[in-house]
This record gives sequence, C-alpha cells and structure tokens, in this order.
Amino acid sequence: MVNLVGLVNSVAKGDVPTAVELTGKALDAQMPAKEILDKGLVPAMDIVGSQFDKSEIFLPELLMAGDAMKAALELLKPELSKGGEGSYIGKYVIGTVEGDVHDIGKNIVAMMLEGGGWEVTDLGIDIAPKEFCEAVEKGNFDIIGIGAYVTLSMPKIAETMQALKDAGLRDRVKIMVGGVPVNQTYADQIGADAYGETAVDAVIKAKGLIRT
Amino acid sequence: MPKLTGTERVFKAVRRQEPDVVPTFEMDIHIDVIQAIKPGLDYVEFCDYMDLDAVVYFDQKSLKWEMLDEAKGVARSEWGNISRFSGAGQFIPVLREPVIKSEKDLDNYVPPDPDLPFRYTAIEEGVKRFKGKRAVIAVVLDPFRILAMYLRGEVELFKDMIRNPDMVERMSEIARDYALRYVKNCIDIGVDIIWNAGDYAITQSPFVSPEFTKRFLIPGLKRIVDYCHSRGVPCLEHTDGNIRPILDLMVDTGIDALHPIDPIAGMDIGEVKAEYGDRICLMGNIECGELLSWGSKEDVRQAVKECIRKAGKGGGHICMSSNSIHGAVNPENYVEMVKAIRDYGKYPILI
Repeated sequence: MVNLVGLVNSVAKGDVPTAVELTGKALDAQMPAKEILDKGLVPAMDIVGSQFDKSEIFLPELLMAGDAMKAALELLKPELSKGGEGSYIGKYVIGTVEGDVHDIGKNIVAMMLEGGGWEVTDLGIDIAPKEFCEAVEKGNFDIIGIGAYVTLSMPKIAETMQALKDAGLRDRVKIMVGGVPVNQTYADQIGADAYGETAVDAVIKAKGLIRT
Repeated sequence: MPKLTGTERVFKAVRRQEPDVVPTFEMDIHIDVIQAIKPGLDYVEFCDYMDLDAVVYFDQKSLKWEMLDEAKGVARSEWGNISRFSGAGQFIPVLREPVIKSEKDLDNYVPPDPDLPFRYTAIEEGVKRFKGKRAVIAVVLDPFRILAMYLRGEVELFKDMIRNPDMVERMSEIARDYALRYVKNCIDIGVDIIWNAGDYAITQSPFVSPEFTKRFLIPGLKRIVDYCHSRGVPCLEHTDGNIRPILDLMVDTGIDALHPIDPIAGMDIGEVKAEYGDRICLMGNIECGELLSWGSKEDVRQAVKECIRKAGKGGGHICMSSNSIHGAVNPENYVEMVKAIRDYGKYPILI
C-alpha cells in the first residue's frame, strides 16, 4: 500500500521534484493512475484552493502548486487517457470570450479543474463564438466554461451561448460562466447551467453538473 | 471660497485640504465616449470641454510598438516583448512572449532608452497648454508592472519570487532605473504630479503575500515616491483589487493619494477614509463596471452623493470612476457623474 500523504503535501507546497518522484513511485507500486489522481492530486488542489480563497496563500504559491500538479499529472496521463472507469471525471473545454485578452483568471480555473480530475482543453483567450461552437462540435465535451474578465466583454458570453443554440449544440453540453464582472443573476438571465464565483467554486459546480 | 483653478483644486485635495469643490478627472477616457459626448474632440480638448481638473498623460502611450500582425493586433514593444492588443477597444497589451525567458537573457539585455525625446512630446505640449490651469499629471508604469507586462510576464514572475528571488531583484533594478528616469524627465519638463500605475491585486486578494509585496513591490514604489518628494512633487498610486492586507505597506511609502479604492473588490471608501484619511487623499470609487455602463442616471447620482458623503468631508477626496472611462461606459452616465460631483461636492459638504 502506497501512502500518498507525501504526494499531497509536495503538490500543495509546489515542490515539483518531490511530486514527480512520489508519483513515479506510486505508479511503480502498481497503484492505478485514477487512484493517484483522486487521493494525491485532487486533495492537494483542494487544500491550495481553500488556502487561496482564504488568502492564506497567494498567486506565487498557487502557481507553484499548479506546476507540481501538472508535472505529476503528466506521468498519469497515459493511463488516464485510456477511458473507462480509471479515467477522468469528464471533459471540460474552457476559454475567454472574443475581445477579452485576460488569461490569468481563466488559467487558474483550468488548473484547478485539472487538479480536480477533469481532462481540460484550454482554447485560450479572445475566442470567437464560432470557435467555441467548433470546439463543442468536435470535442465531445461534458462542460464548456465561458469566461469574461472585463465588463466590456461580458455581453459576448450571451452571444456565445446564442451561437451554440443557433448551431443546435446547446443541449449537447452544460454551460458554465465566470469572471470578475459576472454574477449569479447574469448567469441566470442568460440561461447558463452554472456560475463559478471562484476557481474552487467552479470545480465544485462542475462536479455537481455531471451528477445532475 | 473663490473659484479655484483645476490645478489649485487638485493640489488642495492631494494635500488633504478642502478646495472649493471636490475635483474630478480620469486616468483614461475612451475615445468612443468622448466622440459620443462631443464629436471631433481629442482627449486633451475634451478635458477643456468638460472642464476636468487634471489632464493625465499615460506613459504606455510613449512606448513604440512594431506591428507584427496587424489583423491579430500582435506587436513588439521597445522592451523586446511581443504582446497582443485586444480588438474590443482596450489598450492594454497582453503579453504573449516575454523578453526575459531565462536568467541568462538578463546578461546582455539592453532596456529601452527613457531619455528619447519623442516620449515626452505630448507631456511638453500639455505643460505648455495647461500649466497653472489644470493639473498636469504623468502616469508612470510601476516597475513591478514593467516586469509583469514586458520583461517576464506575471505567471513566471510570480513563480520566480519563490524559485529565483535574485533574478526578480535583477529585473526589478532594470525596471526601477527606467521608471525613475522617466519620472525625472517628466518633472524636469514641469508636470505637477506623478501617478504610479501599480496594480498589486486581483479582486479577491493582493497578487502576492504581504511579505512578498514588501520585498518585491514596495521598494520600486518607495523609490519613486521618495524621488518625487525630493523634487517637491506629489505622487499618487493606482491599484485595482482588494489591497486591504497590504494597505499599510503602501501608505507607509509616503504616497500622497490612493486610487481607486476598488468597490468591486469590496474596498469601502468610508472605511479607508476613517483609517487613512489623515495620511492620504482618496481617489475613485464610482463603480465603472455595471453602474457607469448600465446603471440609470439616478443610480449614478446616488453613488456620487454617497461617495462624497463618505470621503469628501474635510477634503482629501478626488471623485472619479473606479478605474477609467472605458468603451462600455454610457456617455450620458459619465456626464451625469461629473455633474453630480459638482452638485454634491461643493465645500463645505453638508450631505
């Protein structure tokens, strides 16, 4: 039996070499990748997410933890990508709306989702409604996350949702929205399935969506 | 009290005294808003038209960019970084490729020359045109922001603070030298006030811990503040976001005023006034996201009234938006905001 406490701690502290070493050891001991993800990386990212929300840690510590998580995840990917029970929670595609070039908030959400067991496709910033539609059409995603980080670009969320409806793709995917100017009222108004107030909240809401 | 000039009004406020009326101006006003209010005017003419109390010159506009891909808005700055400008009327370049990719890139790095005359053409004209009538303010990009926006990029920079703090110090020296030289040149030309554009926080919290703020961010600000004061020039500080945990550190640098006391981030101008009003002038905090964009004129008037009620008494208040008049602001709301400031902001304040 491999003890994953050390892995949890090393990821939470952003210690990349130790996180990689302990993930390698767990794999060598025949522990399933899914178990290492669920018992090593997910709890670690829960810890840093909660610490970040409480301002006990800040962006440097969060980003270093993200690096440790990603390095460990790289080793798990071959097995996780096989599909079936030992795989990811689901497939999540995320992007910042057209005309908005802010990426740090979106990157944190993507990082926390990966750490939460999702296979994340990051479309990037300044993504046109058409590009979101193309991704949904081709990608077989469970959830699409649409972010706007300035007031000016917020109407683009509704425009992107309308484009998904027009393309007949709305019911193929759950839609989550987020970003600084966005709130629950706006999410309800435009008919989104969920609103992520923070990165941690986004991970919780995402899990809730696939259970419904 | 006799009617003051814009310059006198702003100086009184910055010195935490009562002027005739609460001053107002903006860090930036989007050209679309200007055109909707008075077609054909540029920003400088618009300051005259609206009788704003200060004219603000942004140093980013003094930086040359070489366009690499016009359609995508991708350009290289004099710092050597490649950035992308948004197509939605925002003028903030977002970094795609920093110039310092590893520590060894620093060995032969040559920063831009802050002394090149073209950087100061607009400011020189501003000083000639407005000196003594409206405060002439030069915005300088905080050394930390130079690192984040041009040299290194914020993600790598934040990680460097943990994994290679010496590298952060080396980069900071380059940025501080540039910013300080820029400030010196602006003061030599005759600007009245320096405005340091910091941005030390996100909505939720400061970017970095108070410990890292003290180590990596504060020294650059402190050097600029000290230099301004050695020349008898006030120094204003801008940062959006929730800066509560680092407010003491910022105020201790000796800044004369703080902008914009970000309401979206939960910053309450009344609380900041009670705690720091005897040490700094407060600038802001009329919410420019929802309120100025989509609120009613009456909502705007009420927000101005409330803001002046909380922060205006006794002086030391400059009422303005909570960031800038960006492209989505309803032009009528901006006009209403300025009108309300002049209606409710007359001293003595009795609201």
